[in-house]
Amino acid sequence: MITLLKNGKLYDPAHSKDGVVEDIYIRDGHITAKPNANEKISQTFDLTGKVVMAGAIDMHSHIGGGKVNIARMMLPEFQETRGYSEPEAHICTPNCSHPTINHATPNTTETGFRYIEMGYTAAFEPAILPINARQAHLEMADTPMIDKGGYAMLGNDDYFLRLLSQKADQKVINNYVAWTLHATQAIGIKVVNPGGINAFKFNQRRLNLDENNVHYQVTPRDILKSLSRAVHDLGIAKPLHVHCNNLGTAGNFQTTLDTMQASDGVPMHLTHIQFHSYGVEGDKKFSSAAAQIAESLNKNKHITADVGQILFGQTVTASGDSMMQHLNAKHASPKKSVIMDIECDAGCGVVPFKYRDQNYVNALQWAIGLELFLSVDDPWRIFLTTDHPNGAPFTSYPHLIRLLMNKSFRNEAFAKLNLDAQAMSNLPSLTREYSLYEVAIMTRAGAAKLIGLNDRGHLGVSAGADITVYTEQADYEKMFGRPDFVFKDGELVVKDGKVVKVVWGATHVTKPVFDMSVEADLKKYFEKYHTIQLDNFKISNDEIHDNGRGKIIEHTKK
Amino acid sequence: MKVAPAKTNTTTATCPACGLLCDDMVIDNNQQQIKVLANGCTKGITFFEQPLNDIKPLINGKPATMQQAISHAVKLLKASQQPLFAGLSTDVAGFRSLYHLSQKTNSSLQHINAPSMARNMKVLQSTGWQTTTLTEVKNRADVIVCFGDISKHNPRFFERFVDIDGMFVQAKVRKIIVIGEANSNGIIKSNALEAAQILACRADDLPSITIALRALVAGKRLKSTEIAGVKLSDLQSLADTLKAAKYAVLAWVAKDLDYPHAELTIQNITETVAILNQSASNHSGRAAGLPLGGSDGDTSANNTNTWLSGLALNDKPIEHDCMLWVSSFSPEVLLPLKDKPLIIFGNSNCQFEGVPDVFIPIATPGLDCNGTLFRVDSSVVLPLKKCRENSLPTLSEVVSKIEKLL
Repeated sequence: MITLLKNGKLYDPAHSKDGVVEDIYIRDGHITAKPNANEKISQTFDLTGKVVMAGAIDMHSHIGGGKVNIARMMLPEFQETRGYSEPEAHICTPNCSHPTINHATPNTTETGFRYIEMGYTAAFEPAILPINARQAHLEMADTPMIDKGGYAMLGNDDYFLRLLSQKADQKVINNYVAWTLHATQAIGIKVVNPGGINAFKFNQRRLNLDENNVHYQVTPRDILKSLSRAVHDLGIAKPLHVHCNNLGTAGNFQTTLDTMQASDGVPMHLTHIQFHSYGVEGDKKFSSAAAQIAESLNKNKHITADVGQILFGQTVTASGDSMMQHLNAKHASPKKSVIMDIECDAGCGVVPFKYRDQNYVNALQWAIGLELFLSVDDPWRIFLTTDHPNGAPFTSYPHLIRLLMNKSFRNEAFAKLNLDAQAMSNLPSLTREYSLYEVAIMTRAGAAKLIGLNDRGHLGVSAGADITVYTEQADYEKMFGRPDFVFKDGELVVKDGKVVKVVWGATHVTKPVFDMSVEADLKKYFEKYHTIQLDNFKISNDEIHDNGRGKIIEHTKK
Repeated sequence: MKVAPAKTNTTTATCPACGLLCDDMVIDNNQQQIKVLANGCTKGITFFEQPLNDIKPLINGKPATMQQAISHAVKLLKASQQPLFAGLSTDVAGFRSLYHLSQKTNSSLQHINAPSMARNMKVLQSTGWQTTTLTEVKNRADVIVCFGDISKHNPRFFERFVDIDGMFVQAKVRKIIVIGEANSNGIIKSNALEAAQILACRADDLPSITIALRALVAGKRLKSTEIAGVKLSDLQSLADTLKAAKYAVLAWVAKDLDYPHAELTIQNITETVAILNQSASNHSGRAAGLPLGGSDGDTSANNTNTWLSGLALNDKPIEHDCMLWVSSFSPEVLLPLKDKPLIIFGNSNCQFEGVPDVFIPIATPGLDCNGTLFRVDSSVVLPLKKCRENSLPTLSEVVSKIEKLL
């Protein structure tokens, strides 16, 4: 069966197509070359005048796993029972609860539906605790409509820190990292507050880049160097995903600048960099360091970043960073929080938060995020995220895109902020407006390239036919909030912004070659110190296949 | 003629009989009769050595075919305005299928452990908490305070996580303090428990004792010399021990705190932890809470319900006119009185008083079929293995047959 998408305006940065009018043919879920004249076209969509992009990819969104579920459990006030219409009702019917205050803690069904309704066809859970990976995959398996995948967290686990403190050979570390990717069915490696989550268990409350973990006598810099090297040596596409030390604290921009140098030129991705771009200028000793961070990002071509934009309203912050979340818990709103130490593996901290536009710090955080977006030159190295739900729920992406694409809309919003914050931001002087092509880079081509999804994020022949069709309009929030059509693996799944067919998506993984002999030492470690058997730690392919509903797509670096 | 030797099949299994999910049980499956060879406990042995009962589905107590039993269950569910799915003792996949069936039949869900789970959830939803997990306990905990008799619920807790050297702490230096009853059935062999300091009290004395401890840890002075029979000086020295600990763990089992507003007792414990963690300068170490107990797949049901619906399970009384009772793991689970149409999907050894309208025997995850279960600390999820040949359908299979007829 062949589907023809006729006459659309293609924004396909992977092939340098900036509004080129072209036809797309879909066969067996993939984009195919123009068929022979004698082949039958089963259905045709006339897309004359429509904007056509690959399905969007959220490269950092907390969609599954322990801390997300703790956030749901802790915050019943975010949910309210309301009726649902088909086909969402088909999986999730009237008794089911759905957030009405906001989308900070959507259930799994809602996560999938809200994403696909915005033209997103994949989202990646960025903080899978290896020991908790099975839960993350169970939740992602119950997330319909979109593809998913995740980054496994290392660097605070006692096994790794023992290796590092014993000055283990880099090859041993590489094998452990590869083994972890296999065992957790992940596509990347993340480090959260390198060494800090572990140090918190030894009662350290802050950890700077060159400060020792009191027990292991290794520094965050040592950890970053070793893990980024491992990821690089193993040939994984996705660079080490780094949540820097000192999240959220005034003056942390210096840590962030120093972190960029910690890998000795090996690629690294700095995540939710907005939360790490704070200076100490001004009366309130809290200021924007976006200019310094952007300047350094522009210079250091081996570094990529996503922003972690905050938007005003109620949300919840769910992080692996138990150390910093424990410090932040005093700002919780509503006033409650969960802090956990987990399995000599990592930790987590869940703190509900309300960002207010009249609060000096929050207003400046908002401006800092936008300053970063607008000051980083290369859209291939900066990504659109709100660190869902930490900065804002992912459902606010269309609003964020409008802020980036429309200067006057942005300036109007800025004028409503806390006045002291306005005085401390150069945002109105940044006149840049993102183009559709740049948005397509940031949310499609760039994200796919970063993660190493060879068959996604573009509209070339053989790509998976994840395609979003929009009507261009002056209000970009409306445009990106409600696509005309979304195709998932070639099937029409959204029409006029509503789901018309339920699909389940695939799980993207990478499985680099490694030396299995690493398992002998791990087995000893598990027997002595862990509380489960090594074999039960590993997630089998069958578990992801889930009796045929799930699917694994394995990627190797091109 | 040679007699073939009995086939032996020794394997390691994961035990769903309590919240610890011990995955080191060595069992021998000889001719369908499972024998626990090593690492068993009273609960685990009872679970694995339960016989496979060749029971047929029943309608009003009379044997029926699976098809007839399913049709009858469907008839009852269709006739009902407000069905209640209760018990809910199953694994993740089983709960997931029940959840979807409940959505299609407008049914409510209530787990057999709803009251004890709700005690913890109320604390989580009111102040939150700071907790830890079993591997951290094993490797870090130098002081462990048990509120009540942990071993009654989790028989191998001390053996596996306390009586053993960890990465950062030796077993012999751990200080164990039990507030309440310890080792009440006297069968647990534990060096740590034998050496434990016991501050004896009744479970319903814990509200006053925990609030006193919380106050003392916060540096407040109390005027009385005794709290519910426990000397204030003992509580003061416990507070000092907690402050001096490198990694103090305060453990409780919500099921034992069975009195009105027991969540406030749990909150005293978790807020004591919060005070201990407040700043690094006041104290020499860290502290963490540890909710224990757990069984009948309660942690799994609660987690799965939470990601599917956005809400945790609760213990609100539920009006209903028909009940579907699910009990996969234990034959001993006390069933509700039958005053309304009652459908049971249960363990093949299910004991019940009275006659349910429909009984369908189902496979027990971890014994008759594979499965997935959450450990009591919620962070660890383990696969369960099928351990014996049988022809029992899984809960999901039965539910999907029902769905097709609705």
